[in-house]
Amino acid sequence: MRTYATLPSLLTGLCVAACLAGCMWEDPLEWPARAPGARAGGVLRLAAAEDVPTLDPAIGYDTRSWFFEQHLFETLVTYDDASTLVPLLAERWEISDDGRRYRFELAPGVVFSDGTPLTAADAAGSIERVLDPETRSQGAQFYRGIVGARAYVDGTEPHVQGLQAPDAHTLVITLAAPDPLFLHKLALLFASVVPVAQARDLGEDFATRPLGSGPFVLREWRRGERIVLARNTRYRRSDRPYLDGVVQHLGVGVELAWLMFESGELDVVAIPPADFPVVQRAPARQPYIMHQTLLSTMYVGLNCGIPPFDDRRVRQALNYAVKKTDILELLNGRGIAARGIVPPTMPNHDAGLTGYDYDVERARALLAAAGQGEGFTTELWTQSSDMDLKIAQKLQQDLAAVDIHMRIKQVAWSPFLDAIRRPQIVPMFDLGWNADFPEPSNFLHVLFHSTQHDANNHTFYASTEFDRLIGGALAAVAPAARAQLYAAAERLVVEDAPMIFLYHPISYAIRTPRVRDYRIHAFVPPRLTEVWLAPDRAELDP
Amino acid sequence: MRYIVARIVWALVILLGTSTITFGVAFLVPGDPARVIAGPRADAETLARVRSDLALDAPVATQYARYLGRLVRGDLGRSYATREPVGTLLLRRLPATATLALAALGVAIAIGLLGATVTARFAGTWIDRTALVASLTLLSAPVFWLGMLALYYVGYRWRLLPLGGASSPRHLILPALVLGSGTGVYYARLLHTNLVEVLGQEYIRAARGRGVGPVRLLFRHALRNACLPLVTVIGLDLAALMNGVVLTETVFHWPGIGRLAFEAVLNLDVPVIMGAVLLSASLVVTASLMVDLVYRAIDPRIRLE
Repeated sequence: MRTYATLPSLLTGLCVAACLAGCMWEDPLEWPARAPGARAGGVLRLAAAEDVPTLDPAIGYDTRSWFFEQHLFETLVTYDDASTLVPLLAERWEISDDGRRYRFELAPGVVFSDGTPLTAADAAGSIERVLDPETRSQGAQFYRGIVGARAYVDGTEPHVQGLQAPDAHTLVITLAAPDPLFLHKLALLFASVVPVAQARDLGEDFATRPLGSGPFVLREWRRGERIVLARNTRYRRSDRPYLDGVVQHLGVGVELAWLMFESGELDVVAIPPADFPVVQRAPARQPYIMHQTLLSTMYVGLNCGIPPFDDRRVRQALNYAVKKTDILELLNGRGIAARGIVPPTMPNHDAGLTGYDYDVERARALLAAAGQGEGFTTELWTQSSDMDLKIAQKLQQDLAAVDIHMRIKQVAWSPFLDAIRRPQIVPMFDLGWNADFPEPSNFLHVLFHSTQHDANNHTFYASTEFDRLIGGALAAVAPAARAQLYAAAERLVVEDAPMIFLYHPISYAIRTPRVRDYRIHAFVPPRLTEVWLAPDRAELDP
Repeated sequence: MRYIVARIVWALVILLGTSTITFGVAFLVPGDPARVIAGPRADAETLARVRSDLALDAPVATQYARYLGRLVRGDLGRSYATREPVGTLLLRRLPATATLALAALGVAIAIGLLGATVTARFAGTWIDRTALVASLTLLSAPVFWLGMLALYYVGYRWRLLPLGGASSPRHLILPALVLGSGTGVYYARLLHTNLVEVLGQEYIRAARGRGVGPVRLLFRHALRNACLPLVTVIGLDLAALMNGVVLTETVFHWPGIGRLAFEAVLNLDVPVIMGAVLLSASLVVTASLMVDLVYRAIDPRIRLE
C-alpha cells in the first residue's frame, strides 16, 4: 500500500502549501467612504514593472525611488509645472551678493507625519547625513561645495561648518565658492528634510520605514507585490492631497498593465508600443491621452579618440547622413528631432540653433574632404531592447548610403556602461541623458567637459574653448550672462559634433475618465498632490 | 548510517562547488559592479568610495574567501540595490515561490493521474491519440507564451480569474495551472506507458478473471504499481519547479524568488544572485538526498549495494 501512502503525503503537502499561502495573502485594504460630491477621497491605482529600490531619500538615485520619495518627503525648494524653482518647505530665501551665503526661512508649523516638529536643524542634519560617508549616498557629490564639507567627510570636524541653524526656522548655508546651480541641488530629493534623530536610530531600516513631512505616508510595502501610500493627516496643507491613498502594483510589465487598465483595474498606465498606433488613432481615447516632451536627449556617441571619429568632418558627415524623421516614425512619433543637445523644454533654450538636416550629398562631400570618400567599417554598441535594435538597424541603413558599414553589437546594460567609459573600446554607442535639473550645464558640463572623461563624457570630447565657456557660465551669477555662455558652448559642441543628436523623447500615458489633474512633468516623476478622482458618473465627461 | 553521512558530505561539496562557480561567473561577466551600484551619473570620487566600501578593490580570491567566511556564519551579505540582508530578501520571497511550486505540483499530479488513467483505459483509440497530440503541444509551448495566453483569455477576455498578482487564493489558480500543466502532461505520458505495461500483466488478467470491475481494476490493482517510478520524479520535480518559476513569476507578477533572481541578474546584484543560486542548489541537493533515502525505504534492494 506504499503507493497509496504517497497520496496522503501529497495531500499533506498541499495543506502545507495552503498554510504557507494563508500567511502570504494580502489583507484587503480598507479606505474611508467618500463624502458625496467632494473632490477629496478615493484611491489611485497604478502599476510598475519593477520594485522600488529604496525609500530613503539619501540613497535613491532613480525615478522609481524618486516617485515615492517626493510624496513622503519635502525639499526646501521644488519645481512648478513649467520647471521654475518655487518654494516648498522654505517660504523665502535670500542669497548674498557674493553668491556664497543662502539664508532660508522655513514655513511655520510643519510637522513630520508622527507629529514631531520639523526644524531648521533637521534640514541642516539631513544634508549632513547625505555627506556622511557612513550613509554611502550617491548624492554626496552635490553638496561637497558647502564650507567644511570636506573636513566633515574626512572626520576632522564633527559637523559641517557651512550648515547652520540659528533658530528653529532659519537655515543658513555657506558655500566655499559661488554655485549658480546650488538651489537646483537643494531641489534634488537627496536634500529632503528627514527627522535626523529617527533616521540615525533606524539606520538602513529608514529605507523601509520612512518618515517625512510630505503629503502621503507609507502604509504598506509588500516587496515585489504592492506599495501603498495613504494621505498624511498631519500634512501642512489641510485641503491636500485629495486622494485617500495610492496603490501601486509591483512587477507588472507594460503589456499586463495594459490588460489591467482595459479591465478597469488601473487608473493610469503607459501605452505599450504595440498598441500605441491603434490607441492614438482611436477618437474615443483622445481626451484621456497625456503627453509631455521630456528634458532628455537620445544620441549616438562618437568616440573622438578612435579614428576616423577624431576628424570633425567625419562626425559632421554622420550627422547629415541620418534621417531623423524616419527614426521618429519608428517611435510612432513619440519624440521630436534634436537640433542640439539641450532639449526645447529647457527654460531659456536656444531656439536659434539649426543643427543638422538630412543631406546625403553634404555628408559625402565631408567624408571625401576627410579622406574617407571610399567609406569605412565601424561598430555601434547598443543595448538589448527591441526598440534599440530597430533604431540601430535604421542607422545602419542610413550610413550604408554613404558607404559606412556599421556593425551592430547588442550588449547588456552593465557591460555596456563599463565599456563606454573606457577610452579605446567603443567607437559608436546609442545612449540618452535625462536631466537631473533644468539647467543647460546638466547636459553641457556633464556630457562634454574635459574633466568628465571618467564620469559621463563617454565621447571623450575635449575642447579648451568649450571648457572655457562652461567654466565662465558656471561662475556667472547673472542668469542672462550665463544663458549666453551656455548658448555659445552648445553651438560649439554641435559644430564639433561628438555625437549624432537624434531626438528628445515624448512620454505618453493614458488615464481613466475619473482621473483629474494628473500631469506628466518634463523631468520630475508624476506628482499626485493635486490629483483627484471624479466622484460619480455625472462628472466623468471632461 | 555511513551512507547518509557520505551523502551529506557530498551535498556540502556540491554546494561549495556551486558557490565557487557562481562567484567566478559573476566576476567574469564584463561590467563593473561599482558602476552599477553607483549609477551612471556617479563621479569618480563616489565610484572610488563604493569600491572601497564593498571591498571591490580587493583581489577576487580575497573577496571570495571573505564571502565564504561570512557564509559559514550564515551571512549571505547585503543586496547592492536595496542594501537589505540577502537572507531576509530570500526568506520574504520563499513562501510565495513554495506555494506556487506546491500548487503546480498538485496540478501536475492531478493532470498526470487523470490523463494516464483515461488514456490507458482508452489505449489505442482516438481519445488516446488526441491526448498524445495535446500533450506534445502543451509540452513544447513556452511557459511565458502559455501564461500570456491564459492571462489574455481567462483573465482579460472572459474575466474568470484575476490578471496576475498574489493577493488572494484565486490569484494562485492561473500560474499554478500554467506552471503545472507541462509537468502534468509529462507525468501522464510516463504513467500511461507504465500503466499500459502493467495492464498487460498476468495478475491483472487473473484479477479480471476473478470478476474485478474495470474501475477497481485500474485504480486498486494497476495504478498502484505503475506509480512507483513517479515518486523519484516528483521529488526531484518539486526542486525543479521551485527553480523553474522565473518565467511564470515574471508573467504573472508573482512575488517569488524567481523574479527576485531575474531582477538581480539585470542589476548585476551579485550578493542576491549568489544567494538565489545557493538556495536553488540546496533545494536540488536536499531533494535528491530525500529521494535517495525514501527510495531505500521503499525498495530494500537498494540497501544492499
